[in-house]
Amino acid sequence: MTQPDDNLAGRIRGLKVAFAGRPALAGVDLDLPRGRLTVVLGRSGSGKTTLLRSLNRLNECLPDCRTQGLVQLRLGGTWRDIHQDEAPVEDLRRRVGMVFQTPALLPLSVAKNLTLPLRLTLGLGKAEALEAGQRALVKAQRWDEVKDRLRQPAVGLSGGQQQRLCLARALALGPEILLLDEPTASLDYQATAKIEELLLSLAGEYTLVVVSHGLGQARRLAHQVAVLRQGLCSRVLEGIGLRDGRLLEELLDEAF
Amino acid sequence: MRGRRALALAWLAPAAGLLALAATALLLGFLLREAAPAWGWELFFGRAPAWPAFWGRLPVWDGIWPACLGTLSLVALASLLAVPLGVAAGIHLAVYAGGRSRRLLSLAVDILASVPSIVMGLFGFALILLLRATLLPSANTCLLLAAACLALLILPYLVSATRLALLSLPPELGLQGAALGLSRWQNLRHVLLPAAGRGILGGVMLGVGRAAEDTAVIMLTGVVANAGLPAGLLGKFEALPFQIFYLASQYQGPEELRLGFGAALTLLALTGLLFLGASGLQRTLERRWRR
Amino acid sequence: MPSRPERRPAREGWVEGALGLAALTAALAVAAILGFLLYFSLPLFEQGQWTKLLTWHWRPQQGQFGILAMLAGSLCLGLSSLALAFPLGVGVVCCAHGLGPGWLSRLMMPLVRFLAGVPTVVYGFAAVFLLVPLVRDGLGEGSGVCWLSAMLVLALLTLPTVALLVDAQFAALEPRLHLAAAALGLTRAQELRYLILPLSGRGLGAAATLGFGRAVGDTLVPLMLSGNAPQPPLSLFDSLRTLTAHIALVLATDSGSLVYGSLFASGLILFALACLVHLALAWLRASGQGVARSRS
Repeated sequence: MTQPDDNLAGRIRGLKVAFAGRPALAGVDLDLPRGRLTVVLGRSGSGKTTLLRSLNRLNECLPDCRTQGLVQLRLGGTWRDIHQDEAPVEDLRRRVGMVFQTPALLPLSVAKNLTLPLRLTLGLGKAEALEAGQRALVKAQRWDEVKDRLRQPAVGLSGGQQQRLCLARALALGPEILLLDEPTASLDYQATAKIEELLLSLAGEYTLVVVSHGLGQARRLAHQVAVLRQGLCSRVLEGIGLRDGRLLEELLDEAF
Repeated sequence: MRGRRALALAWLAPAAGLLALAATALLLGFLLREAAPAWGWELFFGRAPAWPAFWGRLPVWDGIWPACLGTLSLVALASLLAVPLGVAAGIHLAVYAGGRSRRLLSLAVDILASVPSIVMGLFGFALILLLRATLLPSANTCLLLAAACLALLILPYLVSATRLALLSLPPELGLQGAALGLSRWQNLRHVLLPAAGRGILGGVMLGVGRAAEDTAVIMLTGVVANAGLPAGLLGKFEALPFQIFYLASQYQGPEELRLGFGAALTLLALTGLLFLGASGLQRTLERRWRR
Repeated sequence: MPSRPERRPAREGWVEGALGLAALTAALAVAAILGFLLYFSLPLFEQGQWTKLLTWHWRPQQGQFGILAMLAGSLCLGLSSLALAFPLGVGVVCCAHGLGPGWLSRLMMPLVRFLAGVPTVVYGFAAVFLLVPLVRDGLGEGSGVCWLSAMLVLALLTLPTVALLVDAQFAALEPRLHLAAAALGLTRAQELRYLILPLSGRGLGAAATLGFGRAVGDTLVPLMLSGNAPQPPLSLFDSLRTLTAHIALVLATDSGSLVYGSLFASGLILFALACLVHLALAWLRASGQGVARSRS
């Protein structure tokens, strides 16, 4: 296996995913730069979410899914082919954190939402788990807001607060790559601004892949933009290209 | 013409409603009127002093307490057998089974659900016939056999309720657990099953209610009219529904007849509560996950 | 490179194994029931005695073991009480969905759910002392234990089975249709009559099928109310005996291998009826889009 270069955190080659015989991805090639934020753009049905979910093999939880192609991720300093891996898939999913479109909290208290996955996947004790959860909350800039409400049910929080709690929960597991599926789709303007700010501050330490529905958000966040069309990666733009108005307009035509 | 047909429905539907209501009211009113004088300690313990009889230290000859205890032990035993089995099978069908094996297993559960209870009783009886002819010449119908056959009878309710409760959870709930790195069993144990708990509990109550009311199965598998308190797993026993059936044709005098009405009202109260509770639980579950 | 199944920690293996084993038990139970019924009715087939079953006379002392009368009794009683319960059930559900005064509408589904919880034996018991004298004295025909009494009570027993399924079907259709129907200026009765009822065709079929299965499978009501004379039923005031009641009655009194054989043959017929009911349901569900399942 060729070793990809060290500035990358992920390499996707010829990725095909089909559900019940119907193709969702038809051969995607994409590199994910390490410590950078990649935004995936595309119309609904273009395969954005499927692409995201193939990075933590979550598609396999859906009925009748068939995956072909190469996905390599750099985890813990070594390159791993996630389909030919010795480690169990749960380990992969812990190291590749995910945040869903609508805040997906368990019907439990705030504290339990943070600690339950830690205790189950890492086998931490109660106190350790709570400590790790607190660190994650601080990182997600949530500690001040919820430190007095840890025992309350998590679903009572506002949408933006819930979404950042989801982010904190993913961070608590110590991931290296974070996947976010339209994380601001169900939020208002102010909550969106807060999340975007948070994401920018996390890039660098983590490699982020964000599925987005808006070109504006892509411009604000992205180090790299990948445009999906009918299950193919039709264009990748990075760095300076993103500031180019004419190129962006073309992108707009292509993506939407 | 067309308008008239719709108009006919507008009259017929309330008429049907009123008819059903009247029939129910008649049934309930009659039961209550006849059973009211019987209701009391005497109904349960007869002329024996209530407290010692309650603990089984004194035999009860003219009350329904032995039948109540019989039904209680029968239902407890049947649930003990059927609940773990049914819930586990429901989980397997909802989460693990795939393709061909799921279709076959669902088919089996659906057929089991439509087998009449008397056939279940006949099965139990046949089991005893076979045991007598082969391993155990002394085998006879008993509490354990009746409970096992009842367990088969209520198994499909438990399987379907568990499967339905799990399948009606929003699919994202299962995905997020997996995305957090929980294994399938951890996800099930800590996320999905607690969320589906009410629906499963509703199914359990439904099954318990069915086990408590069924008469046909136990008729063939060991219930008798005068056994006293249940003596053990391998003994004969009394049960409320059979007591009612027996008294309907074999009553001697108004005394015993009133006992029958009292027993009928007791059983009705028991199963009525269980069924109302079950349907209430299942409907709150539906409402909870509807967006 | 195709994806492989997920790898799991070993200790989860036995949990999954146990769950699968439980599901397998349910399947084995069905196989065992069928196997026992077949095994014990085998003597009949081996000795060519099965032709004796297909006669109208049940006189075990004279070696006549015909169960056709019981089969006819089961079918007549099941179909006739369904013929009563089905329109009643549909009417009750229409009533619950807004036909008739509001207080009545609101009462309907709780009533149905309550009826679903009434034990069979309680129906039977109340009817023995309430309905049977009415039929005997009021209509002045025979002893009062007859087809008619059993049919009336069995209809009430079958009502919740039918109504719950029809209600689930209506509830599935209503959100799609109600606004559109109201916008077209249809009255509630017209909406139910011309939109919801025709669109529920297969759902109504499923409700009738399930109701029939429930009516044919019941033991206690015919046993207590139908008189149990092993004869072909010719009038509503005749006594009749169903297969279910036959099994209960004979097992309590008689013994002897051919008698038993006929019981297991009866059981086999009931089992086959149950399978037919299930097949019909499966066919209705497979061919119709969105036939609702009852929730209890």
